[in-house]
Formats: sequence, C-alpha cells, structure tokens
Amino acid sequence: MNEDKSNDIFIFPKWTGVLRPAVAIGALGGLLYATVVVAFGFSPLATDVGYAPVQPVPYSHALHVGQLGMDCRYCHTGVEEAANALIPPSQTCMNCHKAVRANSEKLIPVFESYSTGMPVEWIRVHDLPDYVYFNHSAHVRRGVGCVSCHGRIDTMEVVSQQKPLSMGWCLECHRKPEQHLRPVEFVFQLDWVPEEDQLALGTRLRETHDINPPQDCNTCHR
Amino acid sequence: MPPMKHDRETGLTYWRSLDELAQTPEFQEAVQREFPGDDWDQLPPATRRQFLKVMGASLAMAGLTACRWPKEEIVPFAHRPEGRTPGVPEHFATSMELGGAALGMVVTSFDGRPIKAEGNRLHPDSLGALTAIAQADILQLYDPDRSRRLLLREGGQQYVKGWSDFEAAAAEHFAGDGTGVAVLAGSSSSPTRAMVRDRFLEAHPNAGWYEYEPISRDNEREGTRLVFGRAFRVHPKLDEAGVVACFDADPLFDHPSSLRLAREFAAARHPESGIGARLYVAESSYSLTGVRADHRVAVPSSRVPVVLARVAHLLVAEHHIELPAAAAGYAGEAGQEISENEVHFAELLAADLAKFRGGGAILVGPRQEPAVHALAAVLNQVLDSTVGYTTDPDPDRPSHIEAIGELAAAMASGSVQTLLVLGGNPAYDAPADLRFGELLAKVPLSIHLSLYDDETSQRCIWHLPRAHGLEVWGDGAAWDGTLTMRQPLIAPLYDGRTATEVVAFAAGSKPTSGYELVRENLRSSAPAADFEGFWRRALHDGTVEGTAWDAVQPRLNPGRLAVAVDGLRALLDAGLPSADRPEVVVTADSRIWDGRFANNGWLQELPDALTKVTWDNALLMSPATARELEITDGEIAAVESGGVTVEVPTFVLPGQARSSMTLALGYGRSAAGQVGNGVGADAYQLRTARAPHVVSGATVRGTGRSYHLATTQDHFAIDTAGFKERNRRVGELVREAPLNAYLANPEVFHEHEHHPPLISLWKDQEYEGEQWGMAIDLNTCIGCNACVVACQAENNIPVVGREQVLNQREMQWIRIDRYFKTEPGLGSAEIDNADVVFQPMTCVHCENAPCEQVCPVAATQHTTDGLNAMVYNRCVGTRYCSNNCPLKVRRFNFFNYHKDPADTTKMQFNPEVTVRARGVMEKCTFCVQRIEAVRIGARNDNRPIADGEILPACAQTCPTKAITFGNLNDPKSSVSKLREEKRSYATLAELNIRPRAHYLGRLSNRADGAGPQGHGTPHGEAESHGKETA
Amino acid sequence: MSDTAINSLSYLDNTGVDPAVRARLVVGDNDFHSVTDTVCGIVEQPKPPKFRWDALAASSSLTLVLFACIGYLVTTGIGVWGLQVPVGWGYAIVNFVFWVGIGHAGTLISAILFLLRQRWRTSINRFAEAMTIFAVVCAGIFPGIHVGRIWFAYWLFPIPNQMSMWPNFRSPLLWDVFAVGTYATVSLLFWYMGMIPDLASIRDRATTKLRFYIYGVLSLGWRSSNRHWHRFEFAYLLLASLATPLVLSVHSVVSFDFAVSIMPGWHTTIFPPYFVAGAIFSGFAMVVTLIIPTRKFFGLEEIITARHLENMAKIMLATGMMVGLAYSTEFFIAWYSGNTYEAFTFLNRAFGPYAWAYWTMVTCNVLVPQVFWIRKLRNKTIVLWVASILINVGMWFERFVIVVSSLSRDYLPTSWGYYRPTAIDVMTFVGSFGLFFTLFLLFVRFLPMVGMAEVKGVMPQAHLDRPGHRGHGDYHGDIAGVEVV
Repeated sequence: MNEDKSNDIFIFPKWTGVLRPAVAIGALGGLLYATVVVAFGFSPLATDVGYAPVQPVPYSHALHVGQLGMDCRYCHTGVEEAANALIPPSQTCMNCHKAVRANSEKLIPVFESYSTGMPVEWIRVHDLPDYVYFNHSAHVRRGVGCVSCHGRIDTMEVVSQQKPLSMGWCLECHRKPEQHLRPVEFVFQLDWVPEEDQLALGTRLRETHDINPPQDCNTCHR
Repeated sequence: MPPMKHDRETGLTYWRSLDELAQTPEFQEAVQREFPGDDWDQLPPATRRQFLKVMGASLAMAGLTACRWPKEEIVPFAHRPEGRTPGVPEHFATSMELGGAALGMVVTSFDGRPIKAEGNRLHPDSLGALTAIAQADILQLYDPDRSRRLLLREGGQQYVKGWSDFEAAAAEHFAGDGTGVAVLAGSSSSPTRAMVRDRFLEAHPNAGWYEYEPISRDNEREGTRLVFGRAFRVHPKLDEAGVVACFDADPLFDHPSSLRLAREFAAARHPESGIGARLYVAESSYSLTGVRADHRVAVPSSRVPVVLARVAHLLVAEHHIELPAAAAGYAGEAGQEISENEVHFAELLAADLAKFRGGGAILVGPRQEPAVHALAAVLNQVLDSTVGYTTDPDPDRPSHIEAIGELAAAMASGSVQTLLVLGGNPAYDAPADLRFGELLAKVPLSIHLSLYDDETSQRCIWHLPRAHGLEVWGDGAAWDGTLTMRQPLIAPLYDGRTATEVVAFAAGSKPTSGYELVRENLRSSAPAADFEGFWRRALHDGTVEGTAWDAVQPRLNPGRLAVAVDGLRALLDAGLPSADRPEVVVTADSRIWDGRFANNGWLQELPDALTKVTWDNALLMSPATARELEITDGEIAAVESGGVTVEVPTFVLPGQARSSMTLALGYGRSAAGQVGNGVGADAYQLRTARAPHVVSGATVRGTGRSYHLATTQDHFAIDTAGFKERNRRVGELVREAPLNAYLANPEVFHEHEHHPPLISLWKDQEYEGEQWGMAIDLNTCIGCNACVVACQAENNIPVVGREQVLNQREMQWIRIDRYFKTEPGLGSAEIDNADVVFQPMTCVHCENAPCEQVCPVAATQHTTDGLNAMVYNRCVGTRYCSNNCPLKVRRFNFFNYHKDPADTTKMQFNPEVTVRARGVMEKCTFCVQRIEAVRIGARNDNRPIADGEILPACAQTCPTKAITFGNLNDPKSSVSKLREEKRSYATLAELNIRPRAHYLGRLSNRADGAGPQGHGTPHGEAESHGKETA
Repeated sequence: MSDTAINSLSYLDNTGVDPAVRARLVVGDNDFHSVTDTVCGIVEQPKPPKFRWDALAASSSLTLVLFACIGYLVTTGIGVWGLQVPVGWGYAIVNFVFWVGIGHAGTLISAILFLLRQRWRTSINRFAEAMTIFAVVCAGIFPGIHVGRIWFAYWLFPIPNQMSMWPNFRSPLLWDVFAVGTYATVSLLFWYMGMIPDLASIRDRATTKLRFYIYGVLSLGWRSSNRHWHRFEFAYLLLASLATPLVLSVHSVVSFDFAVSIMPGWHTTIFPPYFVAGAIFSGFAMVVTLIIPTRKFFGLEEIITARHLENMAKIMLATGMMVGLAYSTEFFIAWYSGNTYEAFTFLNRAFGPYAWAYWTMVTCNVLVPQVFWIRKLRNKTIVLWVASILINVGMWFERFVIVVSSLSRDYLPTSWGYYRPTAIDVMTFVGSFGLFFTLFLLFVRFLPMVGMAEVKGVMPQAHLDRPGHRGHGDYHGDIAGVEVV
C-alpha cells in the first residue's frame, strides 16, 4: 500500500468505541424484548383472559348462583349429557320471572323473546376455535369441576374468561388430571375446597375411576 | 338476522311440531321470511353456531391463532321443545321414490337440518343399506339451482307468480268433466297418490291419465303378462340360489331391490355358510353383476335371446326338462349362428340349471323384449326356480312407452287442452321420435311441476316448484309392496308442493295438504282402534310390517304362450350386428340415472364403477371393434341413427361385446342447472318409441377429434411397460382363488408371500384399550360406489369439478380401485376381453405409517387407539405424507374447494367434521367423529363399547356388509374373527406398513370342468408373482 | 498492461503439461498494482456500459415475474402448480434441490481446496462463493413457498408456543431446515470475511466520500496490520475447516428427503454421495457458465486464466463420471435387489412416459462431460462454456427425473399419474434465475469479484523476501523484469 495513503486510511474514529457496547446491548436487548412481547402479547393469556363482553341482559351469576344458590344445571341443562352445556331458553328465565321482577326494565329483552319467540342474543364468552370439539359431559361426569375452567362464576357480576383455554393449558390438565379432579358430587359446587391435599385426592380419584385423559389429536380435533 | 331466529324456532320441522304448526299463519309467514324466494343472497345461514362450526377451519385460516375470534353469539331457543338438546343429532325414518318403488331410509338431522341419509334396517329393500343415488339425493334438497318460484311463461315473457295465482288461473280448466285434460305423471308406488288419482278421475271422468318413466321394468311386466295372462311383479331370491343366470340383467345395480339382492348374493357367496350362487352372465356390456360373474360371455344385446334360447334347447334336448306343450316351440333347435364360447357358456349353464333344479334363477334385464322375459319365466316355472311373483299393483296400465305414445298422439291431434305434467322431464327424456317438446307447444295450457325449471318447464306455460322428498309428507310401497312412510325433515325451502297435493287440487277435492291426505289414506288401511298410535309407530319405523303383497303362484297360460314363442322367433332371426352396422345400447347411468340427478355434484363426480369416468358419459366400445372402426380411445365418435347424429367420446372397454356399444342416458342436459348443464352427450336423441333400449343398425365413425375424459384412475390404454407391470401386480394386490381350491387349501391366498424379515426402526406401540381395525371382503364387494357417497356426505368432502379431476385432484376419501385382469403375455393392442376386479381403497391406518414419520409439523400422528390421525388445523401442507403414502389415499386441498358455498350447501355440512380449507391434507379418519361420539357416550355410562356399535359411514351403508369395523384388541369382535380367517391378507405387507385394514380374498365359483378362468387366472398371476419375489 | 499484450493471446495460455515448468496462476506482466487496478477498476467504473444496464433490467424484471408468481400462488393456492396426487412435489422441490446443488461449488472451492492447498482456487473463490450465496438464496425460496399454508411455515421451527407443540424431529424436511440454514450462514460469513481486505483496498482507492464511508464501514476498519493479517488468516482457516463438513452434509441431508421415504426410486442408500457429487458437478458447471463471459467482459483473462478453466473442466469430468456411476449403480441394484417395485421404477424411468427427461439427463450429465478427456476441446472456452450449460440443464433434469418420475408411478397402478407443469411452474423457475442474475450483477458492480489479496499471495512477487525458498509454493522461476512497488 502507498505510504502517503496510509495516514488517511479510514478507521472508525475513537468515539465509535463507546458505541460498541451500546450496539451489542441494543441488539441482544432488542431481541429479548421482541421475544417477550411476541411470546406474551400473542398468547391467549394476554388476548383472551379477562374477556368480559357486555351481555344484552345484565344477568348476574353472583346473584343467582352466589346468593340464591341456584344449581348450574338448572339453566345449563346439557352439561351432563351433551357436548354443549347449553344457554337456557327464555322460557327458563320466565319460570321465575313471570312473578319475580316481572316489570324490571333490565329483563325486557327476555320478556320480548318469550312473547315473540325471538331468542336473546347472548355473547359467547368461553369461545374455543371451531376445529376444537369440546364435550362438557365427558369432563363433568369424571369430576372436573366447573370452576376448573370457568373460575368462580358464582362471584361474577359479569361473566369473564378466567383461563387461557389454550391448547397447552388443556394438555396440562390432560397430562396431570389429579390437579383438578374432585368427587363428582362436588363438581357443581364452585366454592368447594378439598379437606385433604388436592394432589392426594386427585390421584386417588384418578385410580378409583381409572381416569386417563387421552392426549391424542383426535380427542379434540376431527 | 331475525329470520334465522325463526329458523331456530321452527327449525324442528319434523312431524311432532309440523303437525301442529303446518297450518298456523305464523309458520307460513316464518317460512316465507326464512327462505325468501328471490333475494337469494340475503338467505340467512342455517344457524349461526353450526355455521361457524363448519366455517371453523376457514376462520383458523386467519392464521393469528393467538388473536380472539370475531365476536360470536349464542342464540338459544326462546322455547325449547321437550326432549330436544341442541347440537345433538336426531334420526327420522323417511323414504325416497325412484322408478315406482319406495326405498326406506333414516335421515340424520342436526338442529333441524337433515345432513345425511342412511338405510332403514326395517325396510325390505334397504335392510340398512342405501344406494349411491339415494344417498346423494339429500344434496339435491339443498341445491341452490332448484326452482324457487312459480313461473308463468306467456308471449315470450316470464312472470313470477304465487300459488294463489296459479290456483286462480287453473281452477276453470279443472272445473269440467275433464275433456281435453291430460295428466302425465311419473310412476309412483304411493297409495295416497293412487287415492288422489282416483278422486281426480272421478271428478274428471274424461280426463286422460298417463304414466311415463324413461327407465322402467315394463318389459319384464309384459313378459309375465305373455306367459301368465296378467301382469306380475318378479321377485328373485338369490340367497337360496345355487346358480344364477343373468341375461342382460344387473340385479346388483338397476333392480329396485338391488340392495336386498346384493345382500342375498353376498350371503350365498360366503365360502362356508353360503349355498354358492354360481353366477352366469351373458350381457353386452360390463355390469356390476357381470364383474362378479363366474362365467361371463359378452354378447350383443340383440343376440342375448339366442343364448337363452340355446340354453332352453339344451335343457330339453340334453337334460330332459319337460316344457309345457304350448311352450314346446322353445325347445326346437334355434339354429341361429352362435359362437363357440356362447355355446360353451350355454352348455355349462344348462347343466348347472338342471343340476340345481329348484335352486336356480334366470334373470332377464329390463332392456330385453317381453318375449325374452316370457321364455325366462317359462324356464323358471319348469325349473321351479327361486323366483317369486306378486300381482302388479296396477296390472291394467299400459306400458310407459305405450302411454307416452298415446299421450303424444292425443297432443298431436290437438285434443289435449290442458296438460298437467307431474314431475318428470318428458321434453328431454321422452322417445325422440315423439317430438314431445314440440308437441307441448300445441297444448293451450301446459303445467309442469318440477324440482327444477328444466327443459320441459321452459316449454310449458306454467312451472310449479316441486317440493323435495325430504320436505314433504307421503308414502310409498317397497318393491314387494311393504308400506313405506315419508315425513318431512325440514319445511319446504322454496314453498314447493308434491304431485299428490297438486293432483288433489286438480281433483278439486279437500283436503289438499299432503299431511292430511296421507293420514286419510292410511286410516282406510289401518286398524281402526288407536290410529294415532299406529300412525306414530309407522312414522317411527318408516315402514309397516306385514304389509307386503301376498306371493302368488301364477300358472302358465297356454293360450298366450304361443304368442310369446312367435315373438321370440322374430328376435332370434334378427341379424347379427357388425362393426359397420353396430347396435347401440342406451342404459340408465350408474350415477345420474335417467338424468334427473344431473345437477348433483356428488353423483357427477362419482367415478363410474367400470370406466372410472366422471363428469361425462362415453360410448363404450370393445377394443376389437375400436380397431375395426379405427377409432382410438378418447376419440370423439359420431353415432348416427334414424337421421340423428350424436357426438360422444369413445371409451375402449375390454369385456364389451363386439359390434355392440353402450351409451348412458341422462347427459347433455341444457336446463339441469349450473352443475349438470352441457355435461356429456344426450343419448335420448337416439331413443325411439319402437327401439327404446337397443338401437340397431346405427353407424359409428371417428371424427378425428379427441377429448379428455376425466377418469379417476389409470386408463386401460397405457404404454407397454406400464401395462405389463400392472397386469403383474394385480394378482398380488387383489388376491383371488377358486372356491374349491380355497376349501382344499385355505393357505392358497398366502402361498406366494415372500419378503425379507420385517424389522421396524421404531418401537412398537402398546395398546391397553381399543385398537381399531377394518376388514374389507373382496369376495362380497360389488363395487357399487355406495360407500364413496356415504363418505362424501359424512365427511364434508368437496366436489372439485371436471378440470380438477383431470388433474388427478379428486377428493373422495375412499375409492374403488378397478383392475382389468388379462391373459399374461398379451399387449394392450391384442386384448379384447378382460376380467375385472374391484378393491375398495382408503387409508388403511398403517400401524407403521410412512406418512407419520415424514410430517415435519407432526400433523399426522398415531393415537392410543391405533388410528392414524390427521390434524387439519396443524397441517401446513408440505404434501410429504402423500408422497410417502404407498397407497396414495391422501387428498390435498389444492384450492379452497369450499370457497363461499351457497348458504343451502352449508346447511348440508356435518357439524361434527371440520370443513377443510385450502392447503391442508385430508384423508379417511375411520369416521373418528363417530368413534368419539360412541366412546364418550359409553364412558359416560361406564360401559364398554359393544362390538359393531361404531359404524363408519362406508361400513354402515355397504349393501353386502363387505366392510367390517371394530376393536382388534377384542378377540371376540367380528373384525378380529375376520382377521383370523385364512382369506385375510394385507396389501403391500412387504413394506412393513402393517395396515389396520385387511382384505379378505376374492373367491370364484366356476363350474367343474369349465377349465381355468378365461383371463388372468389367479394361477397365472400367482406364478408371475412367485417369480417376482423369489 | 500494454495493448500488444491484450492482442496476442498466446501468452495467456498457461495450460502447459510440462511438469518442469510450473504454470503461472497469473499471466501477463502483472504486478500487485495492476491486479488491484484490474479488479477494483471494475467496481470503480464511473458509468458502466449500457449492456450491463440492459442485463440488470432483464434480470430484475424476471425477478418481478418470480415475485408475481409467488404472490399469485400465496393468494390462490398450490393448485396453480401442476401438482396432484400421486405427484405431490414438482418444480418447486426440483428447483430447490437444483439451486442448493449449485450452491456447492463456492464453499467447496474456498474451504476444501483451501485446506488442500490448491492455490489456483484464489482467482475464482470469491466469485464462486458469491454465486453460492445467491444460489442458496434462490433455493431458500422454494421450500418456503411450496407449503400449502405458507403463513404457518414457521411451525417448522422449534419455537415454544401456546399449543405446546414441537415439530417432528423424525422428519427429513426438518433436518433440511437446519442443514440449509447452517450452510447459508457459514457460507455468508466465510464470503464476507474473505472480502474484508479487498473492501479495504477499495476504500483506500475511494474517490468520493460516499464510497469512502460505505466501504469504510464494510471493511470494519481494516488496517492491514500484521496483527490483522494474522487474525484474518487464522479465522479463515477456522471457517474453512468449519465449512468443509457442511459441503458434504447439506446435500446429504437434502438427499435424505428422498432416501428416507419408502418410494421406489427414492428409497436408495447411495443418495448422499450421489447427491454431493452431483452438487459439485452442477456447482462447477454454473461457475464456468458465469465466469467465462465475465472474465471476457472485464478483461480478467490474465487473472482467471485458461488453466483455471481447465482445472474446473477436469473436476467436472471427474464428478460427471461419479454421477454416471451412480446412475448405473441404481439400475444394477434395482435389478440385483430383486425388488420388483424398484426394478419397475427404473425400467419406467428409461422407457416409461418420462423417458424423454431421463435420456436428456443421461446425455447432458454423462455423455457431454466426456469431451473433457480431450485436452484441445476442454481448453476451447466456447466448448467448455456450452458443455457447462448443458450440464446445468442435465442436472436440473436429474432432479426432475428423481422427484417426478419416481412419484408418478409408485405401488398401486390405480393411482399412477402423469405430472404436467403449468405456466406458473415454469415462470417461477425462470424467475428464480432472474433473482440469481440480479444479485450476481449487483455483486459484480459493487464488490471485488476476485480475491485480490489472495491472488497477490500466489504471485511470485509475494515471495521476493524469501529467495531461499525457490521452487517452493508458487514462486515460478524467472522473475526478471518484475519491478517492486
């Protein structure tokens, strides 16, 4: 190389030295940040949990279940026999509300529905992808409590989604059902807590009823 | 969308509610709002939940698996009916009518939407099975092309009308004594319709009533009239037959009782328990029955009588069978020129008939002249065959061809002022020489009641929308007369009415509602006490036991026999067809029947059993004839007869009789709908009143232009290397052996299995609970395609269209492989005849599945019950699994084949099965949705799953019960037992894929001393097979 | 260099066979400076001639075609290709294997030949490496777009997710993802690092501020200090030894896509060596195809000499023979194994519906290279050039034959089929060439296409300081008239 050129050879100036760590940290940190944001931000935990749409009728589970102590099955009649727990027909509401609060404005949609035959358009809260085939009876009959997936409905003024309902979350329980198993008679009792250690109880129930939740794809996808 | 809520409410359109609702104005209004005829696009989807379910896959396509779905609503009933759980399917017994016989079925309904038809176990003609056509009928219910409104065509104008308009306009024409009034109806077995018809004729004594069906068994009927003096209905019984002889007859397909006959035949062919039913077939073109024949001779239809006459001759001359004096004429040496193997065939058959006297049956096909049926009837009588008779329900009616002829004459003479056409499509399917379409113009007031605004409707003044069979009340009679009920599964989508209702209106009598008419008619025949109970029971069962007509023992009527004999003589003297003057046989199509199902995508895309052609009909021609005429396979041939020329692509089919060509009816429709228009060539143009079945003396020449027939399978014509290899593989893929050889040495099916030790790279899976398996009996499979349609209906399999099929992208999960077996060593150029074997092929759920290993995203995996699960929502679509599948049973969604289907089409979807979107692989799942349903149910009641409790759609509908499904872990299950049988083998076992679906070898029951099978004997195959794996 | 030198080409011939005379790797009266001038000159050309613009216009519009096709594919579905059942893989996979194969020459030359002390590699390695990168870029496109639901393609990577699903590590396609990924990364590093000194010299010759800074940044502050050189050489050696196994592994893994399956014609144990040989074969063919016109246009005959071309011709001959051997072995085994399915597949290749493809392949890959036996012919650039193109064609057909003809007729005759590509198939393939050439043209324009530093290292002048070492290394006898700068 020519001597004369050698002194105006481009070298990164001194001050660029301090940038080096900055660049390194920026690159690594940015990457980490992005990962976290995507991993969490897109997970059902962030997107779905806490979803609490406003319903056409401000029906309060806290009141009906919590205070009046109605049983889940009074309205959700399908839950023990069918895949769908079923949202009750207006008919069911009217069983009581013919007499009780018979002129409450909040109930107008129900009254209308009852007289016209048009259904009340409830908003679905716990909404699985449509290629997922969930069956309530299969779970309820084995002693998986309502509370395990729906949370303490009996305390909710407005129903909201409590669990991510993601595939990973489902698998968790299908792999270790003992975490959630309870005696069948307590399935609908949302505030029930086992006297003994849940795992011990769960393991015992699992053996006695020989409960081995399948983890096959076609258990849920068809 | 308000209407839909009404759908939810009135969605329960089955008898319990319709009963009360039918008359209420709310209901009428609801239906109006629910299915507003004209603003089609505004038609709301079935129910939002089910709709979203079926659209699930496409929602998933949105891809952002982690983002919330669009807001979804739940619309519960306002008043839920007793005992109704939304989302739980219900089943209702009903029926469909085809060609004057009712076929009982059980329809699955999801939240008020009928989605699938299956056979009714209690119905004598169904026995739980259903034909491909009957199953596909449900698609027509939802066909968006169906006519949605009344049309009035006047002075080149077309006006949309309502029923009231029509009634007002028509009233006066049906006021008088019926002079100048004519009714053209399709044949129907419905007693209610008979009742209404009588009322109509009472009210209008001078009115004419004509019945026409393009495809009918009138010749058989006339045949019995010839020998017995009055019309009888023929009921062959195959399960008691040691020998069955079919002359142009196809009892396994085109008989109204084909399902029962198939079941009986299968039973008779069981190697241990069956009586044998050695099957002789003389026919001009391969039929499903011909494929199963032990002795088959290809004879032009016009020569079939000669063979039968020779049999008669031999029976008398050599086997000393006594013919009644009057029938002596049959015994005489026919003296016609007759080929050597025809004689050989006749000799074997005669010998067997004599041997199995009292246990044989001679069947003659509907395309043969009455005189031939007469001869068969005589022989059946003297041989005391397993053929029963009942009196014909309407013995005095003229044959359909005569009837339409008389009507045409009346119309030509101008004596018909008012013509009421109930269903049917005479402008298209009446004999061409009657020029029915033109005659319609001569009729001042022509009214056509029809499912579609079709060729006939367009030539009529009034078009009335007809209600689909699943929308209406009705009844009918099985082929043996058993009363069969019909109830609506859904309110009429387009305000259509039934023929019965329209006639009732025309009769001017009350009531006119189908529901009341049926009940009224039933009252007459039902036990007076507790009618409601009887009614409900009838509807529940779909049939009424013990209502079959009584069998009669007809006696030969000497007076008439002479006529029959002369009639036969005339036929025998008919000249031999030649290549330059060939006969063209027009037949019912194996898929769209007489053309009425032309707009049915499932059927149009259903591969024909023999040719595997979809979306077309073809002129079937024997290779030799093709060579003589220098017509190449796939070349468009011009068929000329009586001044009419029809251009249709050729399909060279081995086993076709020389100088005899076959062309299926029902194609070349111009007003069938989007699906059926312009598909194939119209064979009706060749059909005359004089020769409705066999057009003799036609001329056929090649046009030099060629056409690609969309076949779903390798073609017979193929390069030499491929041809040789194919022939070599058949014998080992579809194993076959003579019955006695098998009984002598049960190992015969495994003698030639040689392969290196099969060692797997992976650890074998252990099974505690169930592990599913299947057994498919090739000995009883008749290739009827019922399973293919059943699968398509059950699993939301799309119809992809001709272009895609040409590209080998058909989607059916189960296919029926057809192989020709030809003599070893012959090239495709020298072949004229070939045996045919079928092999239903679907995912065999390999225990050691090649597909599972190569999927990069684990979208296809083995389950704990041994299924090879395919997870659509995980699949990214590398197609690697399909490449690595040795049976090529996987199907790929190359496009979004479900892209915006019509709203009604969506209604047919099975909500239990994901609708696959573009870019994912799919395949047979062993109907996993049915397995899961049963499993959950059984688990809920803490009981084991019973054997046979789970039935995949294909197994459920198989007429011969060739498909058995069950638990391989249970040694007592029927499938395990079948797998134990010596006939059981696995295809491509040497690959160590360990299929869960095994096959049971095919057995032939050839007469002793008949020598080896004509073509591609199992022995020959076996030898070459032996060589290949030595 | 003087005009006379250019005009009389005789002196350019360094293909002599006399062992006593070491062939020069750089001919003509070149010194370090002239080499720098020639190479940098191309990059520094103020205004490139028109034909280079035309070339770029052509190739970049082809690239647009590629992207248009991909857009159409993604919006419409895989059905726009000719694929079907049984032939589920067609052009896309064929092109993928084809491009990956081409991507082999570069790393082979720079890594393996480097370790083998093949000095003649220096003039062509940069060029070949660049080509490798671009080929791998083209290859990388196809596996991506050939899946049915491209928006879920990321499921092929082991990323933790809410489904708690992992990819299937048993699947060769997954191995592919890793193999090609690694290969691409290493080649890129290798290429770039080797370029640093040359980027520095372009920087040093920079006339405009912009170039000065851009190349300045790109050359990462290279000062060509002894320490730099020492580190550089060491890193180079490391990367070379790191890349070497990759050269062999990538295409072996690619070959597993087929070898691991059970399809007759795919399920073959010789695939890995066979594919690697084929890859090197096609790689060199592509280098030759590109380098012959390039050296002509840019007057690089003195640096990329006839001898270089001859060496490559010899390599092609060798690898071509290996491929030929593989073909015949396949046939022999098909017969010898007694597996009738296998036997038929090969019979079908040669005489079935795809015979035309098969015989094209054999002609181009086995017969054509035979001309290289003849010294006269292999030293005719035009012959060499045409042959290299034919070999490229042949190698594409090899992949076509393997993928398509095997799939089209497998076990059950009832599912046999015939695959026809659609216009989209073809346009996508052609488009990928567009992308390749666009990248290549840009490379030629902006980066030094010959590793100047390395070339200088093998010139006699490099060894003046060590006269004792006569005859050693690349010191080529007479150096009279070489003036030291």
